[in-house]
Amino acid sequence: MALSKEELKAAILEKATNAPKPQLYVKDFYACDPDSKPRAVKNAANELVKEGKMAFWSSGSTTMYAAKGRAKDEEK
Amino acid sequence: MPKHDTPMIDELESGPWPSFVTDLKRQAEKSPQCWDILGKMELSFRDRITHWKHGGIVGVFGYGGGIVGRYSDVPEQYPGVAHFHTVRLNQPSSKFYTTEKLRQVCDLWEKRGSGMTNMHGSTGDLVLLGTTTDQLEPLFWDLTHDLNWDLGGSGSNLRTPSCCLGKARCEYSCIDTQALCHHLTMHYQDEIHRPAFPYKFKFKFSGCPNDCVAAIARSDFAVLGTWKDDIRIDQSAVKGYVNGDFASNAGAHAGRDWGKFDIEKEVIDLCPTHCMRMKGEELQIDNSNCTRCMHCINVMPRALRPGLEQGATICVGAKAPILDGAQFATMTIPFLKVDPENDFEEVIEVIEKIWDWWMEVGKNRERVGETIMRVGLPTFLKVMEVDIVPQHVKEPRSNPYVFWGEDEVEGGWDRSVVEFRKRHAQ
Ligand code: SF4
Ligand code: SF4
Repeated sequence: MALSKEELKAAILEKATNAPKPQLYVKDFYACDPDSKPRAVKNAANELVKEGKMAFWSSGSTTMYAAKGRAKDEEK
Repeated sequence: MPKHDTPMIDELESGPWPSFVTDLKRQAEKSPQCWDILGKMELSFRDRITHWKHGGIVGVFGYGGGIVGRYSDVPEQYPGVAHFHTVRLNQPSSKFYTTEKLRQVCDLWEKRGSGMTNMHGSTGDLVLLGTTTDQLEPLFWDLTHDLNWDLGGSGSNLRTPSCCLGKARCEYSCIDTQALCHHLTMHYQDEIHRPAFPYKFKFKFSGCPNDCVAAIARSDFAVLGTWKDDIRIDQSAVKGYVNGDFASNAGAHAGRDWGKFDIEKEVIDLCPTHCMRMKGEELQIDNSNCTRCMHCINVMPRALRPGLEQGATICVGAKAPILDGAQFATMTIPFLKVDPENDFEEVIEVIEKIWDWWMEVGKNRERVGETIMRVGLPTFLKVMEVDIVPQHVKEPRSNPYVFWGEDEVEGGWDRSVVEFRKRHAQ
């Protein structure tokens, strides 16, 4: 069974905080819960950004996610 | 901010064409940071390397797109462009503006940014070039509250949809491109403003196969207006063209004397599927073989018009990157209803089928066209539940094996091997 939204968000944040790479693609979070639909994972990750716990890092052509404070060039 | 010595950049003003360097110098009188762009660019020319860093985190609250971060790697040398972020504005459908709106946006941009614009970016947005991080939130506030204008898409978002002039000005248009573009822009606000996919995704809409927005070359999802029934022919107007009463191509090539109009040479022989002929004075078209290329209609618009049963062809998977090669979109759905009455339900259904599949199967930074190439068109067409037609076939087969699906084999994969062996035992 798929994780609840809050459980999914916790799993995503955990991965974003502890993964060796500071910036991750949305697809890298799919593994947090193989039972959740990609769209649910995307929505959960975007919600974490809205809550200020993660940030978007964008090259202009693609977008990655980083736990707050881990993104390259972040103005702290 | 001082002027810099820019001998190499100045060279770009010496050619016969208008130069952005001249524009920048003029703008620098009002926005001195433009001197630093010129200086920094001179440095890049000298060092033969860009002095912009790759990407960054900028944005406005609640949005994950529309602003592209640009940071300099020589901020002390050129402080005016230490950050110089780009802002993408969602252009109106078909780029119809009032002069009042354009003045307002230019005034706002001189207040909040460099004053430099790019009309338009290749996705279609009105692009505002160059501002600092602290100006982003105030700019966004003014833009949305005073100008009632929104940002476009960037990054792994749905990019700002764009369309041709369509029915607003063009008699060829088989679909209302503006209605479709506007509807889908509103319908997919979340996907435009926040990342949603493994990589970027672009919609473009052209009203007919002339494809004035180059949807087939530039968009992951290209909607091209077309028709199903017969090309409408006015035989008396055909005669008019043959007799030289009307200029061919509506006079578009009238700058030179091309001699007398020759319907055989200029229309019939150029039909890519050779499905036209003259029988006496009558033009005949074998519509079942017409590939809807628009050539004959473009040459003789008074005599020929698209049919009346109109809709769109959906092509999927174009990309035009500098690295890794560009590719055209592949014809996927030959004919689809495009109906504003039901809020374009059929189009939305196709879009979401593609997205659900691509979000699952697409790799990071893989455009949907690349995913299709990787898994093969037959697999993609199966996902799309499209019946394969000859037009899907690009070339004769080069692989001798035939792969059957389980549903195509009697008994599926569960048939008894023991039974089979019994009958075939040596
Ligand atoms: S794509 Fe076709 S309908 Fe649209 S503006 Fe061009 S010619 Fe007209
Ligand atoms: S539209 Fe193109 S393919 Fe069709 S009849 Fe005219 S020239 Fe031939």
